[in-house]
Amino acid sequence: MIELRSVSKVYDGVAVVDDVTLTLERGTLTAVVGTSGSGKSTLLRMVNRLVEPTSGQVLIDGAYTAVIAAPELRRKIGYVIQDHGLFPHWTAARNIGTVPVLLGWRRADVRSRVRELMEMLQLDPDVIGPRFPHELSGGQAQRVGVARALAARPELLLMDEPFGALDPVIRAQAQADLHRVQRRLGTTVILVTHDMAEAIRLADRIAVMRAGRIEQFAPPADIIAKPATPFVAELLGEGDRAFRYLSLKPAADVARPDGAAEGAADGPVLPGHATMAEALSEMIWTGRDRVRIANPDGDPGIVTREALIRAGRPE
Amino acid sequence: MRGGIRLLFLPLALSPLLPFAVFRANRIAQGEPRSLVETLGAGPAALAVAALAGGIAALAFARRPAWGAAIAAALILGIVLAAGWGASSLMAGVPTQARVSPGAGFWVALVAAALLLIDALARMRPRPALRLALVGFAVAAGALLLSSGALSQLSVMQEYRNRSAAFWREGASHLWLAFGSFAAAMLAGVPLGIALTRRAGARGSVLGLLTMLQTIPSMALFGMLIVPLGWLAANLPAAHALGIRGIGAAPAFVALFLYSLLPIVANTVAGITGVPRSVTEAADGMGLTRRQRLFHVDVPLALPVIITAARIVLVQNIGMATVGALIGAGGFGTFVFQGIGQTATDLILLGALPTVALASATSAVMDALIGMLPGGAR
Repeated sequence: MIELRSVSKVYDGVAVVDDVTLTLERGTLTAVVGTSGSGKSTLLRMVNRLVEPTSGQVLIDGAYTAVIAAPELRRKIGYVIQDHGLFPHWTAARNIGTVPVLLGWRRADVRSRVRELMEMLQLDPDVIGPRFPHELSGGQAQRVGVARALAARPELLLMDEPFGALDPVIRAQAQADLHRVQRRLGTTVILVTHDMAEAIRLADRIAVMRAGRIEQFAPPADIIAKPATPFVAELLGEGDRAFRYLSLKPAADVARPDGAAEGAADGPVLPGHATMAEALSEMIWTGRDRVRIANPDGDPGIVTREALIRAGRPE
Repeated sequence: MRGGIRLLFLPLALSPLLPFAVFRANRIAQGEPRSLVETLGAGPAALAVAALAGGIAALAFARRPAWGAAIAAALILGIVLAAGWGASSLMAGVPTQARVSPGAGFWVALVAAALLLIDALARMRPRPALRLALVGFAVAAGALLLSSGALSQLSVMQEYRNRSAAFWREGASHLWLAFGSFAAAMLAGVPLGIALTRRAGARGSVLGLLTMLQTIPSMALFGMLIVPLGWLAANLPAAHALGIRGIGAAPAFVALFLYSLLPIVANTVAGITGVPRSVTEAADGMGLTRRQRLFHVDVPLALPVIITAARIVLVQNIGMATVGALIGAGGFGTFVFQGIGQTATDLILLGALPTVALASATSAVMDALIGMLPGGAR
């Protein structure tokens, strides 16, 4: 559990982070969203003490971070940045092994850990491992950066705009990777981004920051349903908020057994994890008002347009 | 070969029209020019011109730089051997105090061929290991040529034979002056540069001071050092015991050291501040201590820039160490200034040629070292 208690950072009399109090549950992914200059990166960097708070405390699992030597603290916290920051004179494998080596792991352990991580992130250890960073594509470098951050099995991972430099296709892939890895390892993640769509897609809770303060801290569905301030609503973009809301909910929630439907639906069966937004999009695109959705426990279910439209409006 | 470098074919082709050798009745007499035909004899001269023409034609049609390099190297070897052979034939039957030196034709041909070789080598883009091998090969070939006796009748070699003990002694002091002051400047300059990256306030004034030192002419700097070093020698027995004097090697060493500092300090600062911010941020974020970041990240990444400075400083020191001879510091400069004093051109060459060879070989080795640094550090 990460606790920020009345944390502030003042530069030249200006509070970049202004009295922020947040509690982040273990194993969750929290996105900190804001425009540039909102203080979101500074907030993140106060967790691993790259920036020292002017006032307030940061606690990790009840321990005050201020009394732990900074390098020792940072070795327990994964850190991923936008330009990946790989060491250009080291191979990908040596980059990934940085923290285990600092921690004095045995060489064989470092090597097997590096292989394990590269395989988890779909990087071929024999091909990518010996390459230098300038020989990697943007997506590969980003994944090497994530592998390096996870190398010493940190329980907390800080990510500062980790996908900002990637093209949209690679970015979607990298986001999916993060989601998978985070669910698998149960790592607590704090993700700083200016992209609200990314935050909605990935986060368990979203903290919206503006001028150093938290405007709203809530699960994505609540942020969409009840934006606390006009700024949050603006950041959300009101035009398509219903679709965003639908994109958070699995279509299976409103599916009924196929047989009970008034007339069977035709057309392809959507996968079981399809969201309501995907189901609605499929209906619009194929000109139907009902689609079938796979059900792992039996026959495909059926989703109707009325059910989706009802579900897309928060009570 | 293609491009503007082909312009060098012209001086190469016309060089046989210039005097190939200079004959002197004794080592300080007025020189008399000797043409290629007079030097080698009509038959061998015709052969030499034919070989030169063949070499130029081969260079013109050489498609691959490696062939161009091989042909240019062969031309250089041929030109040098021709001078040695010509000297022997001119010396045949004349009194032993007579001297034969290379003439304008020799120098023009040699310089043109050397430039063609350098160009071809640059186009080859050899890997660092091959470059080191080429330097080793050139040094070995030169040593073999000099020890073979093929050049023994050239005046510069006679000067060498008369002073061989002094030659090696001065060579050793030249190396000590150039490399010793370089090593001292690296030991002082790199830590100073690192310290300056952490104290941006002091950076401007220290670099300014070093720049000012750099603008002092070497003779003036020697003069300025005579007083404090002389005082040290007179008042500190330990300093005196170390060989520190107002004149001699000590002020030359100190002057070379001071001149070396600016490139080393400035490049250390530039190299370390040039490490990308994302890399230093990642290093801090990973939990590297300051010391670990310095030795594992900052310095390795700054190394190409620092070694570039080292190369500049070494070549500069090898050249400037010659001037130290003026205040009794020794080194190859001793022969240069003796030669000037005696108007003995060949004695000047005895000091100048090894200096040039040393500087070129050092520069090539340092370039190869820079190329050997790993990964994206290049």
